[in-house]
Amino acid sequence: MNSMEHQFIEAGTLMLAGMVFVFAFLSLLIIFINTVLARLAVKFPDAITPSRSHSSTKNKKAVSGEISPAIVAAISGSISQYRHKHSTQYKSKR
Amino acid sequence: MDSLTKLWLSTGLANFELGQVIMMLVGCGLLYLAIARNFEPLLLLPMGFGAILTNIPVAGFSEVGGLLHYIYYAGIDTGIFPLIIFMGVGAMTDFGALIANPKTLLLGASAQFGIFATLFGAIALNGIPGIEFSLKDASAIAIIGGADGPTAIFLASKLAPELLGAIAVAAYSYMALVPIIQPPIMKALTTEDERKIEMAQLRPVTKVEKIIFPLGVLLMTIFFLPSATPLVGMFCLGNLMRESGVVDRLSSTSQNELINITTIFLGLGVGSKLSAEAFLNVQTLGILGLGAVAFSIGTASGVLMAKLMNKFSKEKVNPLIGAAGVSAVPMAARVANKVGLEANPHNFLLMHAMGPNVAGVLGSAVAAGILLALVG
Repeated sequence: MNSMEHQFIEAGTLMLAGMVFVFAFLSLLIIFINTVLARLAVKFPDAITPSRSHSSTKNKKAVSGEISPAIVAAISGSISQYRHKHSTQYKSKR
Repeated sequence: MDSLTKLWLSTGLANFELGQVIMMLVGCGLLYLAIARNFEPLLLLPMGFGAILTNIPVAGFSEVGGLLHYIYYAGIDTGIFPLIIFMGVGAMTDFGALIANPKTLLLGASAQFGIFATLFGAIALNGIPGIEFSLKDASAIAIIGGADGPTAIFLASKLAPELLGAIAVAAYSYMALVPIIQPPIMKALTTEDERKIEMAQLRPVTKVEKIIFPLGVLLMTIFFLPSATPLVGMFCLGNLMRESGVVDRLSSTSQNELINITTIFLGLGVGSKLSAEAFLNVQTLGILGLGAVAFSIGTASGVLMAKLMNKFSKEKVNPLIGAAGVSAVPMAARVANKVGLEANPHNFLLMHAMGPNVAGVLGSAVAAGILLALVG
């Protein structure tokens, strides 16, 4: 029973030390965010990404039915690559 | 005739022991939970299968020379697998919500009370005949309250490897049961009006903040708690890979292929610890019970802390997000969102709950570091 009492005291100390440390550590992190990171955010704001007028015109073309030659080339290229790969696999299996 | 006898003796049927059969059924139970109930299937499926494999008589999966033996000692005994998974979790984590509302770190901190309060419970169970938990065992069991699988496995492999199987099963089972365990506690501790509280929109967080944050966390851990640096360090590495934006391939690998491969081996390795002699005892029942207590206390502490913050803070905090302080990312945050929507269909708490949710991951890693430093 005495050893259990001793263990309870140890567990209590551990609980107290643990909770105090967890709170202290995460509170320090709050201070870090509120000071260092907040200042960095003001000094180095995210660059505003320019609106992409080019891509939007391309999209419009695609919607209206015209497919750009670059896209056609890319699709046909990947199809022929796939066929080529597939046929070599087939041959190697045989 | 001799050959026939020899053949018979080499069959599984001749060598089965009752304990092995029961543990295979436990393995099947885990498979059922994973496949039919969708309970943490990524880990429970390989774990359940590992439990079946390790209990096959004669095959010797978990003896020297057996596959599971090497998987366990290479990846779990050394702590490598949980740490690699932690790196992947870091690569998947967005600290934006936490940086935008840093006071939610206090919710993540208070939810760790579940861990430390369970230490008492584990020691109290020593009064029951057949149960004898040392302080190391109690610490390893208590970390279940952190609701963080890799952290629980990492700490258990360091402090109480013989209890690893039961601790991992309890941790992952309760993480899957978060949507069942948490809502009644959340509702019991809050009023309808409190659950309806709408929170202010979070400020946008810059890229520089997100890059410096993991470095700052690592620096603080190096200064104040080096014993937690294996966990926090790997977590921060994964997060920096994600936020830096210059190593998308590495970030993608660590949050997809690498974490998936490691999860298979982690599950099998933990399953190899589900042997009859290690699992079929009163201690396992104690661990399963304590796990539920740890989760419940953690949830309650988070909610109560949020209520306390409401008394002192100008900006209102919905107490439901406090429950997300018990890691279990992103399940606990989803539960907070769901319970909030039940009270107020226009109140989306998910982003607000992600703050305490990821704070809980950091909090449980810090708690694990403290337990390692003081007990290990």
